Amino acid sequence: MKRFLETGNFAITEGAILAGCRFFAGYPITPATELAEAMSLRLPQEGGVYLQAEDECAAMHMCIGAALGGMKAMTATSGPGFILYADPYGWAIGCETPLVVLNSGRVGPVSGITGAPGQGEFYLTRYPTQGGNFETIVLAPNSAQECMAMTVEAFYLAERFRMPVTVLADQLITDGFEDISVPENDGEMKEMSFRVWPRKINQGPKFYPPSDEIDIAPVVLGHNTGALCSDWTPTEEGYDIEEVEAHHKHAYRLIYKVRNHRDLFSHHYDKKFMSDDPDLIVVSFGTPSRVVNSAVAKARSQGLKVGALRLINLWPFPDELFTARSKYLVVELNWDGQLVREVQRAVPKDSKVHFLGICGDLPTMHDLLTTFEKIIKNEPLSRRGWELEAW
Amino acid sequence: MKDRIEIVASGFGGQGVVRLGQIIGETAVKQGLHVTMLKSHGTEMRGGYVRSQVVLSKDLIDSPMCESPDYFVALSSAAYKRFKDTVPEEGLIIYDPAFVDEIDKGLECSHKTFPAKDLSMKHFNNALFANTLVLGRMAGLIEALNKDLVLESMLEIIPKFHDKNRKAFQIGYDYADA
Amino acid sequence: MEYKASELISKYLRSRKIPSTACSGCGLGMNHKIVVQAIQELGLGVEDIIWGTSIGCAGRQTFATWKGDGFAGTHGRVYAIARGLRVALPPEKHLILTVGDGDAFGIGLTHLIHAARSNANMTVIVNDNLGYQSTGGQYGWTTPQGSKTDSSPYGMFEHNLMSEGLDVMHILKGAGATFLARHVSMDGLKAVETVKKAILNRGFSLVHMPYPCPTNFASRELGSRNQVNIYRWIKDHAAPLGQEKEDTIWATGIWYDASNSRPEFSQMVWDTVDKIRRTGKI
Repeated sequence: MKRFLETGNFAITEGAILAGCRFFAGYPITPATELAEAMSLRLPQEGGVYLQAEDECAAMHMCIGAALGGMKAMTATSGPGFILYADPYGWAIGCETPLVVLNSGRVGPVSGITGAPGQGEFYLTRYPTQGGNFETIVLAPNSAQECMAMTVEAFYLAERFRMPVTVLADQLITDGFEDISVPENDGEMKEMSFRVWPRKINQGPKFYPPSDEIDIAPVVLGHNTGALCSDWTPTEEGYDIEEVEAHHKHAYRLIYKVRNHRDLFSHHYDKKFMSDDPDLIVVSFGTPSRVVNSAVAKARSQGLKVGALRLINLWPFPDELFTARSKYLVVELNWDGQLVREVQRAVPKDSKVHFLGICGDLPTMHDLLTTFEKIIKNEPLSRRGWELEAW
Repeated sequence: MKDRIEIVASGFGGQGVVRLGQIIGETAVKQGLHVTMLKSHGTEMRGGYVRSQVVLSKDLIDSPMCESPDYFVALSSAAYKRFKDTVPEEGLIIYDPAFVDEIDKGLECSHKTFPAKDLSMKHFNNALFANTLVLGRMAGLIEALNKDLVLESMLEIIPKFHDKNRKAFQIGYDYADA
Repeated sequence: MEYKASELISKYLRSRKIPSTACSGCGLGMNHKIVVQAIQELGLGVEDIIWGTSIGCAGRQTFATWKGDGFAGTHGRVYAIARGLRVALPPEKHLILTVGDGDAFGIGLTHLIHAARSNANMTVIVNDNLGYQSTGGQYGWTTPQGSKTDSSPYGMFEHNLMSEGLDVMHILKGAGATFLARHVSMDGLKAVETVKKAILNRGFSLVHMPYPCPTNFASRELGSRNQVNIYRWIKDHAAPLGQEKEDTIWATGIWYDASNSRPEFSQMVWDTVDKIRRTGKI
C-alpha cells in the first residue's frame, strides 16, 4: 500500500485505473481539469488512451464509442459540462452502456463561481436526460480516499447494471489534498473492499431481454454478434420499433433492474451517533457531511442528542434510512434546497424537516451547533438570511 | 500531540502558500498522521488572497476546515485582516512585517514576527526563498513536526535550488525571536 | 459490373428490414445500394464492417439493415461515437456511417469537423435529401436558395453551404479530411467506384450523395410528388467536376483525394501510447 498526500482528482484517476478504465475523454473545466490532466499523464503509462474532446457532449459520446468497442471508459466535468452530457447520458441509459461519469460540483447556475464548492446537481444527476422511464445510480464520496473507492465501485456497478453511473463530488474534494492509500495488488484491493467486474460481451441474438435481471452482458461491437444499439425503442434483438408495448418492456428493464437489485449498493451510507434515537438527525452528503460529523460529535459532548446520517448512494434515494420519527436537519451546499425535498418526502409523516443551505463554502461548526440547539429547544431559527424562509 | 492541529497559511498568489501547506501535509503523512488540506482562492480583485487550511491528526479527520487555527501564517495584510479573528487565545499568528504592517493589539492570541522577505533578500539577494524560510520557522515552532521529514518533503516537492533551499530552511529553523 | 439487388440483399442485409419503410419513390435506396455494391466489389464480408447511422430519413432507414454489427447515434453525435469506437476497434475493421444532411452539416458539423481533423478512419456517406424531410420538410443547410419548404414558405433566403459558390467540401478539406467526393444517386457505377476508394482510404472519407425526396421536398418545391420530376431536377442540377454549368448545384466526382497521406487517428493514438509505455515520452 502506497500512502501520500494527494488531491481527490489524483485519487479518482488511480481508482479508475484500478477498476480497469483505459479510456478517458474530457474537456477542460474547473474544478475537474486536474483530473483530465492526471488521466493524460497516467493512462498511457497503463496502456490506456486519453483524448481531449471538442466539447463535453462529444467527450461522453467518445466514451460511449470506446465502451461499445469493449473498453472501460470514463469522463469528468463540473455542472456546466454535465448539462452537455444530457444527450449521450440518455443514449447510454437506453442502450445500456457501462460508463462512469464524474461531476465535481461548483457554484451555479451557469458558470457561477468556478473555484468554490456547490451541490446544485442533486436532482440533475437523477434526471440527467429527457424522457424519464429509467433509474440512475449516483454515488457521493466525501473524501479523497472515498473518491478512489467510489470510482472503483462506480465501474463495478456500471458493468453489472450495464448503465452509466455518476460519481457526484464537489470542488473541495476533487481539488483538496488529503492523505490517501493506494492498493498495490489484488489482496490489498480486497482488503479495501474494492470490487471489480470484467467487461463481458453479449453474444445475442437477444440483446435486450424483457426482464429486471442484472449481469446481462452489454452490447460490444466488432465481434460480429449482429449486435444492434440505437436511440430508438429496441426490440429484444435491438431493431428499432415504435410500439408502446415494446417500449414498456424496455422501460421496465431500465427501471426495475436498478430498483429490484438495490441490495448491491444499499450499504452505501454512513451513520454517526444514530443508535439511541437521537432528537435530531442531520442529513447531508459530500464534503459538508464532514463538518456535520465534527459538529455532531461536539454537540454530543455538550449533551445534545444529535445524530448524523450521511448518504453515499444518492440515487436511487435510500428511503429506508428515514424511518425514525424525529426532527431532521438537512445541510447542503445550495440555497434553494434540493436534498431537503427528497428527505421531506421520505420521512414519516409527522416529522419536521429543517434546512440549512450554504453555497461556495462549507457551513461552520458554529452555524451548525447554533442551529442544532435551536431546533432541539423548539426555538425559532434565527433568520440570518433568507435561506431558512422556505423551509 | 493535540488530537487535532489546525494550520492556516494565507497571502497573495505566487507566494507559495499552497506549497507550504503541501510540504507540511506531506511531512505529516510521512509521520503516519492523517492530513487534510483545502486550498482556496479569494477574488482575484484587489485585496484577494490564497489560503491553505491544513489539519493534522492521529485519527481520521472529519471537518477539513480550520475554524480555530493553532497556527496562522499571515503573508499579506488582506489575509491577516480576514482570518485573524479566527485564531483562539492559545493560537499563534506568525506574520511577515514586510506585508502585514499593522497588527491587532486587541487579540488574545500570541503574535510572532518573522521577516521572511527581508531575510531572503539579505541572504540570497532575492525574495524567492521567503517561503522556505517560513517553512523552516514553522518546522521550529510546530512541535508535532519532525524537522528532518519536513526537510525531506520539501526537497521532494520543490524541484529546484536544493542547496539554497536547504540553507534557507535552516536559517528559518534557527531564527530566534527578538 | 451490375449486381442484382437480390444478391446483395441476401448476402449483406437483414431480410427483416427489406423492403424499407421509406416513402414511395424515395431515392435513398439507390444510395444504399451503391454503398453495399462497393463493399461487395471490395470483397469485404459482413464481419469486416461496423455500420453506424444517424437520426432522420437516412439514419432511420438504413439502421439495422446491415447483417453485422450496427449502431445509431444521437442526432449529430455519431461522429464522436465513431471516434471513440475507432480507438477501441481493431484497425482492420471498417466503419461506415450513413447519415443525413441535417445530421452531418447542421447539428453534427462540429463533431464532423473534428472527425476530419483527427483523420479517424471512417467512411461517412452523407445522404442529402435537401433538408429536414423526416420531420415533414423544413429547410436545411444544403437546401438550394429560393426553395419553398414548410419552414420557408416564401423561399429559403439565407446563405447556405451549397450556394453562391460555397461548398461544404471546402470546410471539410480545410479541417483535414483525406478523401472527399460527391455523387447524386443516379451516378450508379461511377459512384460505386468512388465509394470503394473512400472505403480504402485509411483515414477520414466523406461522400456527399444528394438524393431525391418526392414526398416532401419535391411536393413543396416542384409542386409534384411525381418522382420523375424530382429525379430529373436533381440530375439537371448535377454535373461532373470541371463541366459545371450556370445552374449546377452539385459538382460530382472525386473532389479531393489524399488517401493514406496523413497518419490515421487511432493508429497515431496507439503508437503514441505504446511509445510512452516503453520510453516515457513521445
